[in-house]
Amino acid sequence: MHRLLLIALLPIMLLCSPSAQAQTKEKDDSLVKIRLLPERTNINPGEEFQIAIDQVIAEHWHTYWENPGDSGTPLRITWTLPQGWKAGPLLWPAPHKIPYEPLMNFGYENSATLLQSLKAPKNLPEGPIDLSADIEVLVCKEECIPEYAAYHLTLNDPQTTPEDNSAYIEMASAKIPVQSDWQATFTEENGNLVITTTPPEDIAGAIDPQSLEFFPREWGLIENTAKPKATIENNKLTISQTRGERPISAFKTAEIVLRYKANDGKDNALTLNALPNTKAPAADHPTSTARKKQSATQKPKLKTTQNISLLGAALFAILGGLILNLMPCVFPVLSIKALSLIKISEKHPALARLHGLSYTAGVIASFVIIAATLIALKSAGSEIGWGFQLQNPLMIGLLVYLLFLISLNLIGLFEVSGRFGNAGSKLAGKEGLTGSFFTGVLATLVATPCTAPFMAGALGFALLQPAAISLLIFALLGLGLALPYLVLSFIPALQKAMPKPGAWMDIFKQLLAFPMFAATIWLIWVLGMQTGADGIISILIGMALLSFAIWMLRHKPKDRFWRGLTTTLALISIFLAITSLPPKAMIVSMCEVKQSSLSQSFSPGKLETLLQGDDPVFVEMTAAWCITCKVNHAAALNIDSTRQLFEDNNVQYLIGDWTNEDPQITEFLDSYGRSGVPLYVYYPPRDAKTGQRAQEKILPQILTPGIVRDYIEGRK
Amino acid sequence: MRKFMPLLGLIALFITAPAWAAAEVGHPAPDFEAQTASGETFKLSDHKGEIVVLEWTNHECPFVMKHYGTGNMQKTQTAAREEGVTWVSIVSSAPGRQGNTSAEEALKIAQDAGADINAKILDESGEIGHLYDAKTTPHMFVIDANGMLAYAGAIDDQPSPNPKTVEGAHNYVLAAIKDLKTGRAVETPQTASYGCGVKY
Repeated sequence: MHRLLLIALLPIMLLCSPSAQAQTKEKDDSLVKIRLLPERTNINPGEEFQIAIDQVIAEHWHTYWENPGDSGTPLRITWTLPQGWKAGPLLWPAPHKIPYEPLMNFGYENSATLLQSLKAPKNLPEGPIDLSADIEVLVCKEECIPEYAAYHLTLNDPQTTPEDNSAYIEMASAKIPVQSDWQATFTEENGNLVITTTPPEDIAGAIDPQSLEFFPREWGLIENTAKPKATIENNKLTISQTRGERPISAFKTAEIVLRYKANDGKDNALTLNALPNTKAPAADHPTSTARKKQSATQKPKLKTTQNISLLGAALFAILGGLILNLMPCVFPVLSIKALSLIKISEKHPALARLHGLSYTAGVIASFVIIAATLIALKSAGSEIGWGFQLQNPLMIGLLVYLLFLISLNLIGLFEVSGRFGNAGSKLAGKEGLTGSFFTGVLATLVATPCTAPFMAGALGFALLQPAAISLLIFALLGLGLALPYLVLSFIPALQKAMPKPGAWMDIFKQLLAFPMFAATIWLIWVLGMQTGADGIISILIGMALLSFAIWMLRHKPKDRFWRGLTTTLALISIFLAITSLPPKAMIVSMCEVKQSSLSQSFSPGKLETLLQGDDPVFVEMTAAWCITCKVNHAAALNIDSTRQLFEDNNVQYLIGDWTNEDPQITEFLDSYGRSGVPLYVYYPPRDAKTGQRAQEKILPQILTPGIVRDYIEGRK
Repeated sequence: MRKFMPLLGLIALFITAPAWAAAEVGHPAPDFEAQTASGETFKLSDHKGEIVVLEWTNHECPFVMKHYGTGNMQKTQTAAREEGVTWVSIVSSAPGRQGNTSAEEALKIAQDAGADINAKILDESGEIGHLYDAKTTPHMFVIDANGMLAYAGAIDDQPSPNPKTVEGAHNYVLAAIKDLKTGRAVETPQTASYGCGVKY
């Protein structure tokens, strides 16, 4: 006893000789023998490799997991690394329950191997590299003894033979719980924490519920001594355990490690990220209001971003709608519309006003319909947000055809009398008004992908309001989009300021076909992101068939028989074109992730792990169909200077792709009061002195390299 | 003694189940009456109108030794008492287990360490410990002048037995006392306590 006390009082720093290459010696009388084993002892510039932190623990003693349970403390490692080196977060093998009556601890007996990644800088100098680490580990039986030791590693030492421990690292990483992608939620029922998840069928069938144990990564979620109750019904796994001392609402996510035996007797461990159950049966009216209240208590962070007033949201909505007019796919439609207006107003000023009104009605009606659908789907429980209609490849396919047809029309392949983009003579008639209404619908359809700046805040606000107010905000957004044309139709002075109609208008119209073609190509690319090459081929065949049908219809012969035949053929090709549309998303591919080795794809678990480390974290939420996102990515993020900036500041870069529906990303957007992309969030590094992170910051919707730099370097 | 551990555990479960609800931050702190090591009677409810700090301790636990060895615990006690706080150290170690001492020894340990406290209570039965669900040494509880539990958890944000971690640590107990003194809500009312398990 006294000998142990002495050790506790006099922590002895044990240094081993630098010549011992990658191997390390340990204190002979220590209760935990620690070794550091690098994956390889020869490292190339810029290379990332794993280090195993191997603990051999004396019999009957134990060390702790990252959440130690009721008492104890996890192992700490402090690296002293040369300039430019980076250490990743510690990876912990799945723990065991270690009862310590009447308490419960989570940790390891006999042995445990932790892993940590180290990354060498690109400008790694030649010659031997010295790395050192201070390790502090608490080892307990009846009493607890802290043990301290310093370790040295020498890499790239030309004097010694290179070592390869990758087989060992592989064995160790097999014991780290795998990150599962099972959807999971948690809620509180009668003083219990209840976690529900749906594992894949073959796994759900093989889990022995009696053997199941679970370990939350954070303290206070469960009463550690209580026993979990697990049941599997219809492939749904439900785990219940007495809740802990912290209110369940304090948890934004619950990351837990599950251990279970499969029917074949094999041990399995995996990590599960559970989200608060927002569809809790507690509310007596499961409407969007109930959702809002609930998420407001669960995520106090919401308040800062949501606190724009109704008036502010209304202004932002109108302003956002106005800016939508300048988007590349909207602009040609509107220019043509504006030109046709001038023609009309010369002769019939009253009719011009009617056109303005019916166009406005078309825009507002479409916005309200889309918003109503969105609200209905959301209250029915779908995790979706603004732009959801573009997550459906069928919708994208239809938009491709639509834009393609408009382009063909603009370039003059065919005329549509009294419909979109009408510059013909018939437009003075009544049916021109319907045309104006549908131009409004069209403008809304092509505008939806471009969530313009100012709109994000208003949309986020709108979707959390009672249905009537949300609809009002969306209607105002529509009003903003319609406003320039409406104003033009009502103020003759403005019409006079427009250029005089003439032959130049036809040439201008043809010119506008090209931005339209560009927008079409972009949408085809989006479709490629969603469905791969098969989807692209289907849509291209469809486009060829459509052009064929239009060409046929244009050349109607006088002869009745031939006229019937061409019409039939045209209809068949239109039918074929529509059926060629890819029905559903097949792949979610993230080309950005492949382009840049710096970034990783987003998951709440990954974010949580990174936030537990010390490095700053940058989160980018994007989607292939979001132009603003693409422009920001290309102009401010995926450039050499920003890449260098991220590297210099050890910024961990996570990209979330919302091209297809993803509830985890929707949840993340929700927690920042947003309902659409782009969203950029920067989490500053942990302060070395206080060990705390400063409040995360939300970047503007339009980025420049300078703005990004200001945030990363802490000037904003 | 160890033979009875399962039985004690069972009893503890019965005591802690209702007590868990009782010793909840933001709710009234459970009242108790006990004899101090110097032979006086300490009753929590007699101290309404004062801030009271309860400190679970075990002089042989390395985490406790970190805070007493560096003088951090004594400094915290003095700073608190200068604000009019009543400080009570409680030892819940069962007879025969680490940290269990006689009353004279307990007083000598406090005196030798230079502890600046109002009372030391030997809670051999673990009754008060279970009442508060004290898990570790140190485990700190701050009770406000109205008898409400205002803070429960660690002494600071450095869950380590390493004496080097004392410098620059954020002391949650002093922060809670300061918040209470200035009439603000306690900014961090609950943290994970760290240290050796209480030797019930």
